[in-house]
Amino acid sequence: MTATTAIVSVDSLSVAYRSGGRDVSVVHEVSLDVRPGRTLALVGESGSGKSTVAATLLGHLRHGSRVTAGTVRVDGADVFALPARELRRLRGGTVAMVGQNAGQALTPSMRIGRQIAEVGGDIPVVDLLEQVRLPRPAELARRYPHELSGGQQQRVAIAMAVAARPKVLVLDEPTTGLDVVTQRGVLDLIGALRDELGLAAVLVSHDLGVVAHMADEVTVLRSGRIVEAAPTGRLFAAPQDPYTRRLLASVPRLDDAGLALVGEAGEREVRPRAVVSDASPVAVSARDLTVDYGSSRAVTRAVDGVSFEVRRGEVLALVGESGSGKSTLAWALAGLRAPSGGAMTHESGDLAGPARKRPLSLRRRVQLVFQNADTSLNPRRSVGDAVRRPLRFFGTAGSRAEAAARARQLISDVRLDPAFVDRLPAQLSGGQRQRIGIARALAGEPDVLIADEITTALDVSVQADVLRLLDDLRRERELACLFISHDLAVVRGIADRVVVLRNGVVVEEGPTDAVFADPGHPYTRQLMVAALEPDPDTRPLVADAPEWTDAAEPDDVWTELGDGHRVRRWSPLAREGVA
Amino acid sequence: MLSFIARRVLAAVGTLFLSSVLVFLAVQALPGDVATQVLGRDATPDAVAALREQLKLDRPAWERYVDWTAGALHGDFGVSLVSGKAVGGEVGMYLGNSALIALITVLFAVTGSLLLGILAGLYRDRWPDHLISTVSLVGMSVPEFVVATVLVLCFSVALPVFPAVVLYGPEASVGQLLPAVWLPALALAIVMAAYIVRMARTSVIDVMASEYVTTARLKGLSTWRVVTRHALPGALLPTLHVIALNVAWLAGGVAVVENVFNYPGIGKLMLSSVQNRDLPVIQAIALISAIVYVACNLAADLGAMALNPRLRTRGRT
Repeated sequence: MTATTAIVSVDSLSVAYRSGGRDVSVVHEVSLDVRPGRTLALVGESGSGKSTVAATLLGHLRHGSRVTAGTVRVDGADVFALPARELRRLRGGTVAMVGQNAGQALTPSMRIGRQIAEVGGDIPVVDLLEQVRLPRPAELARRYPHELSGGQQQRVAIAMAVAARPKVLVLDEPTTGLDVVTQRGVLDLIGALRDELGLAAVLVSHDLGVVAHMADEVTVLRSGRIVEAAPTGRLFAAPQDPYTRRLLASVPRLDDAGLALVGEAGEREVRPRAVVSDASPVAVSARDLTVDYGSSRAVTRAVDGVSFEVRRGEVLALVGESGSGKSTLAWALAGLRAPSGGAMTHESGDLAGPARKRPLSLRRRVQLVFQNADTSLNPRRSVGDAVRRPLRFFGTAGSRAEAAARARQLISDVRLDPAFVDRLPAQLSGGQRQRIGIARALAGEPDVLIADEITTALDVSVQADVLRLLDDLRRERELACLFISHDLAVVRGIADRVVVLRNGVVVEEGPTDAVFADPGHPYTRQLMVAALEPDPDTRPLVADAPEWTDAAEPDDVWTELGDGHRVRRWSPLAREGVA
Repeated sequence: MLSFIARRVLAAVGTLFLSSVLVFLAVQALPGDVATQVLGRDATPDAVAALREQLKLDRPAWERYVDWTAGALHGDFGVSLVSGKAVGGEVGMYLGNSALIALITVLFAVTGSLLLGILAGLYRDRWPDHLISTVSLVGMSVPEFVVATVLVLCFSVALPVFPAVVLYGPEASVGQLLPAVWLPALALAIVMAAYIVRMARTSVIDVMASEYVTTARLKGLSTWRVVTRHALPGALLPTLHVIALNVAWLAGGVAVVENVFNYPGIGKLMLSSVQNRDLPVIQAIALISAIVYVACNLAADLGAMALNPRLRTRGRT
């Protein structure tokens, strides 16, 4: 051990889960040390055991799991040998945890102030809320969790964690559910508190951008075993293990000029974007589309005067934070939500009506793939059924035998083994389920595919595969694809053109390369500043975004930058007191 | 929050109004009217006509409905055709006796079964859970009159602790009735508790597995505090409506059990009134049952509001 001794020390820890009378090993001989003031990141894909290891620092194991070997020592105490009373003192007092989903981690029936106060410690709640930079702390303390935004809830969870001034902070995917801009704010806060309070931190994350930004050391886990452990700089610059290399290579970069294909040893090859000819017909277009939510008394305009068109074989990305209206737009196009104004047209007809009123031939041509493949497939139906159903429904397969054959074909089209037809969704991995979701959408032989955050819930390597599949399919089938995402790096790789939405309004649009090379709108810049790259030495793509205000006039909305790249008019906002 | 309460109360009043109309119409729809009922089959048409006039049966139905509800609002439900006494007083007397059973049942069954359900949920898949779950399943499957009979066999015949039947009339005092109350209350409680136990168990298990309970534990709070402050409000919420429905069910369940024990309560009065076609009494009892149902559900709604801040803070940003 170097200068200071480790405050957290995990020594050949093994954890097993009992299932069907057998022990299933979830963590295997994991060792790690964290010194005060340092941050260790646990990185891995789902099922790697990273959250399990992190939770052991608080002496917590999931129902049915147990430690089969090794020790976990925190601040000198053997966590799993502590009597109940001592363990309680350790939790909150010495080690505190910030979980992934603050919305679910806060007790809904209890005021925020009380939830923070019951941790103990001598610091007044108001001071704690101020420390996590929440506005009007005294008033906020009297609120209930549901009255706060996601970012605010996560700040409250952080305040709760540092209330008793612990020595170790365990952060389990602390920003995974948050928007890029909010994520950046929360990470900056965590970093500041960690330095201010001299905390040792263990950060669990699947997001290598977050890890590069936050951690001093990184431990890469795979199937419960340590694959590689190294200081952050060295790990990102010269990963040793092929798995680490592959993992790093799978992360889409903001400066990729196309989709990266990742080889077995982690070599990257960027495939140039498909060329969409100007002659290819416009498959679907929207003009001055508005969508409203709520009753006639309180209308919220989710989408406000948006126009776009997508050609055959082209991928148009809709980018924005949650609440920007991008999903609402997708739903309107799919006919699941009635627009309140404007027009939507498909090559072969008007898309004004809701899905159930569109003629069958039109309906099958516009298909939607959902974000969450787990919940959009019927858990009691085989995946073959899920694909066969639209085949029969849209009449694209005549007989029963033909439908069965087509279903197998579609399943192999999405690069899965056709033998999967008889499996249930629960027997598939997340990425495989999402492929089935795509196969189901393809069953109607659509020419417009709406992909609503389809890779958000997936691990990076799986995400790369699904993106690759989508890119292949649009080339093979000349699909017009509306790709909705909040992840700029993903968009950079797959989209031909980008539309940036903010509060239902288009602030910038243009060819992907042009927008990324020279973002014209401060909001686009803000998104790019907040995006984190998997490289600790990376310089941001753009400098800081200026404060701004909208300056669009009804007949003078756009600043044209050429080649279809245009930016909504804005003017800089003078900051008071700043020279 | 106030508008939420106002809406619920208004809905309750509306429900009551509708049920009073239904009760009234149902009684009207019965063949024959009160006059022929009272005078019997051999009455002369003149006598029937005279009585109809005396009972104001010759007036249109809506006028009689208004009279009836106006009276009911003041506690005047008309006159019993059998005893000739005021229905209000008579029903009130029986109702009071039943309320004694209901009160004891609710008190013990609700608190007891909630405790057992919570216990089962907390000790999920261990022996206290298996025991409680099995016993409550048995309680759920056996009809109340069987439970009542078994209880009589055990505690009145084999082990004479409680009286098997009540020998007093409806005028009996609380002191006289008290020894006889326990067996009927126990029979009802066993049947009723089963539902509440199972519901409480499931919701406790759900809530204990939630992220916020895990968070509370990892904050280093004591198990007692985690359960009482963090888990229970969420766990009670779905249980609340099951409790309300079961308490309301008592109004009917009481009728069966009271007959087993010959207990002079509202259930017994209802049965004899139906046998005697004592329409004003039936009408009054039906209306009272409706009031019990509506009141229980209203109480559950207000209870849910107390447990769920989302309902309370609606409209605030």
